[in-house]
Amino acid sequence: MNRDIVEQVLRDYEASRCPDADPELEAVRAAILIEDVFDVVLSDAEIDPVVFADTSAVEALIARRRGAV
Amino acid sequence: MCGVCGIVSYGSPPDLILLRRMMGRLGHRGPDGNGYYRDRHAALGHTRLAIIDTSGGAQPLCNEDGSVWVTFNGEIFNYVELGAELRGLGHTFRTASDTEVIVHAWEEWGQECFARFNGQWAIALWDRRAERLVLCRDRLGVRPLFFIRLPTGLLFASEVKSIFADPSVERAFDPAGLDQTFTYWSPVAPRTVFRGIQQLEPGHYAVLDRDGFRKASYWRITFPERGREPGQDARENAEALRERIIEAARLRFVRSDVPVGAYLSGGLDSSVTAAVISRYTDAPLHTFSLRFSDSEFDEGRYQKKMSAMLGTQHQDIVVSASDIAAVFPEVIWHAETPILRAAPAPLFLLSKLVRENGFKVVVTGEGADEVLAGYDLFREAQVRLFWSRDPESAKRTRAAELLYPWMVRSPGRIPAFARSFFARHLDPGDPALSHRPRWDSTSAIKNMLSGHLRDEIGRARAEDVVARMPPGSEEWDPLSRGQWLEMTTLLAGYILASQGDRMLMANSVEGRFPFLDRDVVDFANALPARHKLFGLEEKYLLKRAFADLVPDDIIHRPKQPYRAPDAASFFGAECPSWFDEAMSRQAVATAGVFEPSIVAGLLAKCERSGGENLSNTDNMRVLAVVSTQLTYKSFIVQGGSGSSERPLSDPSVAVDLVTDDRSLP
Repeated sequence: MNRDIVEQVLRDYEASRCPDADPELEAVRAAILIEDVFDVVLSDAEIDPVVFADTSAVEALIARRRGAV
Repeated sequence: MCGVCGIVSYGSPPDLILLRRMMGRLGHRGPDGNGYYRDRHAALGHTRLAIIDTSGGAQPLCNEDGSVWVTFNGEIFNYVELGAELRGLGHTFRTASDTEVIVHAWEEWGQECFARFNGQWAIALWDRRAERLVLCRDRLGVRPLFFIRLPTGLLFASEVKSIFADPSVERAFDPAGLDQTFTYWSPVAPRTVFRGIQQLEPGHYAVLDRDGFRKASYWRITFPERGREPGQDARENAEALRERIIEAARLRFVRSDVPVGAYLSGGLDSSVTAAVISRYTDAPLHTFSLRFSDSEFDEGRYQKKMSAMLGTQHQDIVVSASDIAAVFPEVIWHAETPILRAAPAPLFLLSKLVRENGFKVVVTGEGADEVLAGYDLFREAQVRLFWSRDPESAKRTRAAELLYPWMVRSPGRIPAFARSFFARHLDPGDPALSHRPRWDSTSAIKNMLSGHLRDEIGRARAEDVVARMPPGSEEWDPLSRGQWLEMTTLLAGYILASQGDRMLMANSVEGRFPFLDRDVVDFANALPARHKLFGLEEKYLLKRAFADLVPDDIIHRPKQPYRAPDAASFFGAECPSWFDEAMSRQAVATAGVFEPSIVAGLLAKCERSGGENLSNTDNMRVLAVVSTQLTYKSFIVQGGSGSSERPLSDPSVAVDLVTDDRSLP
C-alpha cells in the first residue's frame, strides 16, 4: 500500500471524526480502522487519543508498525 | 413479473389439465392474463402481470419459426440495447417486449446469453427441435424457480404450490431443508423445506434433454484478493458508484409501460433510490411507507422528512401487532416456508396498499446492506477481530461500546456481554467468523425439535454452506467472505424471497432493486473492503456518493434494522382464532417437527408475558413453531390449495400441438 493511500485514509478518517465523543473511545475507533486497513497490530499504549490527534504521528506509527512486520 | 410453470415429459404428452391447474395456483403473480403452449414433450404455462408491452407481450412466446418457446418471469432491463443488437444480427421481432429478446438471444448466443442480461428473471426455454428444456435464474435470486425431477421428466414453477397441484408429487418436509432453515434462516439453494422439491441456484442455468439433467453457473459472487482491488481511490470510486446506481435506478423507473412507485423506509438505501429517481427522471414520484403503531419499530419521522424533501405523493400504512396476526396464515401460504421473524407480514400489507393505489411496480432499496456492507453483523465481525488480536486488552474490550451505546449506561453488564460476544466461536481463521454468532443463536430453535426429526436430520446431513465457499476465498478480505455468506444465505433465501418476491407478488406487485443491478454488484464487489466498511462506518462509499441528495440526519442516523413485533403479535388481547388450533398440543404432535411438551412450555411463558420482553431466541422460537405449523397445514396437509387461489380467465395464448398442428404461429 503506497503513501498516497495512507494519506487518503487518514484524510478520510479526519473528516469522519466525531469531535464530541469520548477521546479514549475515539482512539479505539481509529485503531480498528488503522489495524484493518494497514494490517498492523497496535499496542495498548498506541491506542491513545494523543497519538490519533496528529495525522503525521499516525502516519509514523503505521510506518513503524509496517516496518516491524 | 409473472408466474411461470411447466411440465416436461419424455413419456406420454404432458397433461394440459394439470398445467392449467398449476397456472391457477399462480394467479396472484399474474392477474392480467394467461397462456400456454404444449407439444408432445413439453407444456409451458404463464400468468401475466403486464408491465412492458402490455398489449403485445403475451406468453408463452416463440422465435420466428416457432422452434424456441419461452415462459418468463421478471425483467431484462437492458432489453432495448440487446434488441437493437439482435436486430442488427438479422433477428425479426414481432413485439416490443423484453421477453422476445430472450428467445432471439438464446438463438444467437446460446447459454452465453444469460451473462448478457441485466435484470431479474426466472426463465424456461423449450427448444422443440432438440427436445431440450433450459431453466435459468438471475444472478442473486430475485425471482424464484422451483422444480422436481420425475422419472420421465420434470415439473417446474415459480412457486411450490403450483408443483403441488400435481397430486402425485409427495408432500413432506425435507429434514435437511428444515435444519438449514433453523440455522441459516432459510434453506440454501438447491434445497427447499420440501422433500424432492429443489430451487435452481441463483446465477445458474439447468438443462434437461434426452442426455439427462445438468446445471452450470453463468455468474458467481466473487471478490478480488485483498489488496489487489482495481480502484483504490475513494473519491473516484464514490463517483463511479454514484453513476452506476443512478443508471440502475433510472432503468428500473423508466423501463416500464405502467407507473412505477417507490418504497421509502426512512433509512439510507430507499432514500437514495427515491432521491435518484426524483432528481434524474421527469415523472412525478409516488412513495409508500410502512409504519408501526408501536413506536419501538416506527420510522415515520424520517419517512415524512424524505418525502417532503423530494415532494413525492406519499402514502403510508400503520401496522399493529394484531394486523400481523390476522394475515399471518396468508403470509405463510405465500412464503411457503417457516420464517423466524414476523417482518414479512407488514410487507404483505404494504404491497397491498401499493396495489390498492393502482401501482404494480415499486423500486426499493433491497440489497444495499449486502452489496455495500450495511449490516451490524459486518461491524460486529470487525470488532471481534479487533478484540481477538489481544484478548487481554481492556482498551480493545471497549470496542463493543462503539456498537452498542447502551453499554456506556450499563457498565455492570459489560463483562458478561464481552464473554459471550467476544469469546464464543472466535477463530480469526474461520471463514464464517462473521456469521457464527447468528447461526449459533438461531440453532437454539433446534433444541425444540422432536426426537424423530433430530434423527432424520442426523441421517440427512445438510450441506455446510461454508464448504461451498469458492477456491481463493481465503485470500479475500474478511468482509468479502462475510458478504459472500450473506448473499448466499439470507439475501437469496429470506430477504429476496419470504420478505421480497413473495410478499410483493402476493398482491401482484413487482419489486425492482437498483442495488442488485449487475453493474452495481460487479463494481461493488471489486471495491476495497474499506470503501464499504470504513472502520466501523457502514456503507461508507454510498453515504459519500449521495451526501448531496440525502439529508445529513438520515445519512448519519444509527442503522435501524427493519423489525416488526414478533411473538407479541400472537399473545395480545386479540389473539386470532387460527392460533390455538395451529398450536395445540395435538397439532404440534401431528406435524412432528417440534416436541409438544417443549412448545407448551414456551407458549405458557409467552402467555404470562403477553409475548413482550422475550429474548431474541424465544421470539425466534415462537415464530419458528407458528410458521412451521402453518406451513405443515397449508402444504403437507392441504397440498398448497388455498383461499387465495384465483380462477383463470380465458387464455390469450393457447397453442396445443398435441391436438392441433395448425396452431403453430
